[in-house]
Amino acid sequence: MEVLSRLNRMRCAIRLLKGPERRQGLCSASGSAARPPVVRLSVQDATALWERQFRQSGVSEPSLSSQYIMAHVLGAKTMANLGPDVLTKTLTDMQTHQFWKLCAKRLTRMPVQYVIEEWDFRDLTLKMRPPVFIPRPETEELVGLVLEGLWPMQDSGISGLRCLEVGCGSGAISLSLLHALPQLRAVAVDRSAEAVRLTQENANRLGLQDRIEIHQLDVTVDAEVILRECSRVIALISNPPYLFSKDMTSLEPEIIRFEDPAALDGGEDGMLIIRHILALAPQLLTHNGLLYLEVDPRHPPMIQQCVQEERIAGLHYLQTRYDITDRPRFCVLQRRGTED
Amino acid sequence: MSLIGIDLCRRAVCRSARLKCLQTYGCFLHNLPMYSTGKCNTGWVNIRAPTSFNHSRLQVRRDLHVTHPTLAANLLSVEEIFQKKSLLDYLKKVETEYREYLNNVNTPDKEQVGEQDLKFKRERVARLTPLVEYIRNLELKQKECEETEALLSDEDPDIRELAEIDRRSCQEGILELRQKILSCLVPEEESDESNLVLEVTAGVGGQEAMLFTAEVFDMYQSFAAFHGWLFDTLEYAPSDIGGLRHATASISGPQSYMKMKFEGGVHRVQRVPRTEKQGRIHTSTMTVAVLPEPTEITFTINPKDLRIETKKASGAGGQHVNTTDSAVRIVHIPTGVVSECQQDRSQLRNKEKAMQVLRAKLYSLRLEEETSRRYQARKIQIGTKGRSEKIRTYNFSQDRITDHRIGKTLHDVKEFLLGEDLLEEMNHALKQFSHQEALMDILGENESDS
Repeated sequence: MEVLSRLNRMRCAIRLLKGPERRQGLCSASGSAARPPVVRLSVQDATALWERQFRQSGVSEPSLSSQYIMAHVLGAKTMANLGPDVLTKTLTDMQTHQFWKLCAKRLTRMPVQYVIEEWDFRDLTLKMRPPVFIPRPETEELVGLVLEGLWPMQDSGISGLRCLEVGCGSGAISLSLLHALPQLRAVAVDRSAEAVRLTQENANRLGLQDRIEIHQLDVTVDAEVILRECSRVIALISNPPYLFSKDMTSLEPEIIRFEDPAALDGGEDGMLIIRHILALAPQLLTHNGLLYLEVDPRHPPMIQQCVQEERIAGLHYLQTRYDITDRPRFCVLQRRGTED
Repeated sequence: MSLIGIDLCRRAVCRSARLKCLQTYGCFLHNLPMYSTGKCNTGWVNIRAPTSFNHSRLQVRRDLHVTHPTLAANLLSVEEIFQKKSLLDYLKKVETEYREYLNNVNTPDKEQVGEQDLKFKRERVARLTPLVEYIRNLELKQKECEETEALLSDEDPDIRELAEIDRRSCQEGILELRQKILSCLVPEEESDESNLVLEVTAGVGGQEAMLFTAEVFDMYQSFAAFHGWLFDTLEYAPSDIGGLRHATASISGPQSYMKMKFEGGVHRVQRVPRTEKQGRIHTSTMTVAVLPEPTEITFTINPKDLRIETKKASGAGGQHVNTTDSAVRIVHIPTGVVSECQQDRSQLRNKEKAMQVLRAKLYSLRLEEETSRRYQARKIQIGTKGRSEKIRTYNFSQDRITDHRIGKTLHDVKEFLLGEDLLEEMNHALKQFSHQEALMDILGENESDS
């Protein structure tokens, strides 16, 4: 078998060396790029080859895409994690085959996170699967913000700490919180069955399944069930769909083709889900419980207004926090008023 | 006055200032090896007012900086050191001082001594107690040893045998006590217990220098594993053919800084490079910097001084974009110091790592500044020391590694680069020399020898 394959490879190599066919065989566009090359390539060459290919086809972040996929094939997270001599190593047939297969997926504009089926979020590595929303770096900061609020509570020895996440997607927020706070329990809800399944899977992989309850519930429809099942919690966290509907058309193909639009589209003013959450929050939170939202930079004043004008009983707007790029990205609210 | 005359005069003043500082403050700052060298230009300004130093705040850095090749060439054994009159005198002086202070503290004559003075004496007594205890134990042991020696000429063979055994254990005890005394004399540096950031940079020699940089980086990674330290790569900039332009790593674990601090400096390699076609031997260099990592308490950075750059600065961000570019670059605006990290897939982790490097860089910058402000005359030496000093040569054709600071040569470069026993052996020798140098400085031996 091995002899045969080697013979075959040699024959192909001879044929391809003859002329322009060779170039074509190595890196012809779209359709045939999925066919692995017949000559062995070094890590460096293969990565450069696909970078060119991505660039020609207008795939975004061509260099990084090619490198992340290669690192994944070689069993690392980033190329920087591999030694310096790895670049000159020759790929095995298996590796070449896998690399080609994954890069062909990327060529269809599938996000790298879906291509390699995992991504890092804070200290965790999470499984990613279309069409479940891929967590963005801003959300890492949201978790940091929530932890700032919850650490003192855990330290002061309050028992039975429980938080609720609305729209958990891959489970990034809830699982990070559970990972950082060993005494916390979490309830996560999402209206998508795929998201619920993926969160469960990630929880199992990380060994956090005992402290998390995951329900397939829609905050716009199942308000009563949520109130019955999940109240009261010390913190309510959400990275809800917050894009304005009119912006949905201008998204990159990576997002629009592969991610669940329901996880992105927040209605005409991006506030559809946010309003539902605001309305439910006073009944879900304990006294002095906190509500954390990640939103569009245009939203914080709108939310502030909404809380004040519509007089959502007992909800108090605490502060707006900025993300790493200095955009007003996070809203912190607190339930105040009568004791439970 | 002749130049030599001036030099001698300076050294004499320098020594007395040092002793004064040591006695009154227990401060070893003045006893830095560099301070006593013939090469160093000790300024008058500094000597006149040694007491004005802020002793408690100052971080003492005592890197090995060989200034006495003759001293370095012969490492003294514990016995030899103890034969030195200066040490015995010194120990006697410490004991007298201890007794005197103890007396003062126990029967305070409030009218004569102020509260401040008393407090100082109390601290001094507390600091000297273990040392004095060892000295007294040593005396007892020595007496015991002499007594047993008298029994060695006893008529009864059984008693002789017992005496022999006794004597041996006595001698072991003496050696142990002497070692303890010596280690008490040279106190630990404050930063010895801290973790560190290791920085390697390719120097002269193009691709070959980068290849060698990669090998040295690997060596330290193995060295960390050898000691069970945590090794975390923070920055990594490889070259095309498998070399390394620049890299930083955080190393943490017991004694990590204490050992690694001797590795800072220029490392030189002599060999036929992989890239060389005609078989000629090239000489290339790479630089190692070892920066103690400050704790949150000792060093804080104002967040307002930082500019954090990510690749996602344009567009609306958030759910609008999906990027895999998680690189983070942090600029410290007042100093212009930059650090960058793209080691991880998580942007937050990259930010934390970049911050770690930045902190270490700023901290060592501040340490250097602080020191050079105090010793303006030695600015050149201190400011660049550890960066520009050629410390070690790896010669492949002769298969040897020579450390120029102590003139020690080891063989088997391949084995050395594994970062295990051979590197440890070299490191241990460096530590011993550094220790001895510091000790000799305290005893004022360097001047009397030269």
